[in-house]
Amino acid sequence: MGVLLAESPAPSAARLRVDLAVMTEHIQGTDTVPVANETEAQRRERFERDALQYVDQLYSAAMRMARNPADAEDLVQEAYTKAYSAFHQYKPGTNLKAWLYRILTNTYINLYRKRQREPLRTGTDTVEDWQMAKSAEHTPQGLRSAEVEALDHLPDSDVKNALQSIAEEFRLAVYFVDVEGFPYKDAAEILGVPIGTVMSRLHRGRKQLRELLADYAHERGIGPAQKTQGAPTPGAEKK
Amino acid sequence: MGDCHSLGDCDDNRIVRLYEYLDGALSLKDLNEVKAHLEHCAECAEEYDLECIIRSVVRRSCQEIAPDTLKSKIITRISEIRVESGHA
Repeated sequence: MGVLLAESPAPSAARLRVDLAVMTEHIQGTDTVPVANETEAQRRERFERDALQYVDQLYSAAMRMARNPADAEDLVQEAYTKAYSAFHQYKPGTNLKAWLYRILTNTYINLYRKRQREPLRTGTDTVEDWQMAKSAEHTPQGLRSAEVEALDHLPDSDVKNALQSIAEEFRLAVYFVDVEGFPYKDAAEILGVPIGTVMSRLHRGRKQLRELLADYAHERGIGPAQKTQGAPTPGAEKK
Repeated sequence: MGDCHSLGDCDDNRIVRLYEYLDGALSLKDLNEVKAHLEHCAECAEEYDLECIIRSVVRRSCQEIAPDTLKSKIITRISEIRVESGHA
């Protein structure tokens, strides 16, 4: 009897220890570690694991902003540095990629746009403006079905040039929604503008982009642009 | 244009509707409506295809690979931040 009594608490204490170990391991193995309790090393490890996986995507976006590889690289570095400094403000479980893009966009606006001294073109894209523009224009299709094929084969450089030549605020809206696939709401947060503004920028940006791409398809001599054979060049005619 | 009025009363509204459809910004009811319309309206279906192609072309063209050194540069800068904040 005495032996049994003495032995009985031992297994349950052992089981308790095992359970605690499992729980601790479980907590440490997930993203739900209370951020406040994190050590610097843990935070850095979490950042490297979770945030750095988006480096190619952030670099791609930076290339649409800064326009050359060296500046894009600087921009991404700067954005990641800021993101790391502010990582305690990021709420685990929310959209980390969108959070990083928001920082990238802000970094770009603060760092590069100031340097370029480009005026902020606000006021040109209010919802009212957009609706007025909408009813005034009658959407030139820009592309005929024969050119769709040509479009599909446009070299990347043409598409990048087309994107680069549309106004920055339109370009970024198109980039975040069409390339990155963010919903309007997330794109609005990234760009720091209301959803209606994102929609108007998208509408205009897509339209301009479509027209430019059509021009490139014409220039490449694919599709109906080849009609030039019917219209002799002015120089040839005069001789 | 058939019964394209169900998508909008002019070309631009129709395109906005298609944009919203492609963007996943419609309610389930509206989404099904556009989907059903696309199945029997050649003109809208062509417009839809064109939008899809433009998006895939743009997406394809914008894929960049960051330089190999970028990641390590970032890691170095981050570790510097840690040292700095450790001293603060």
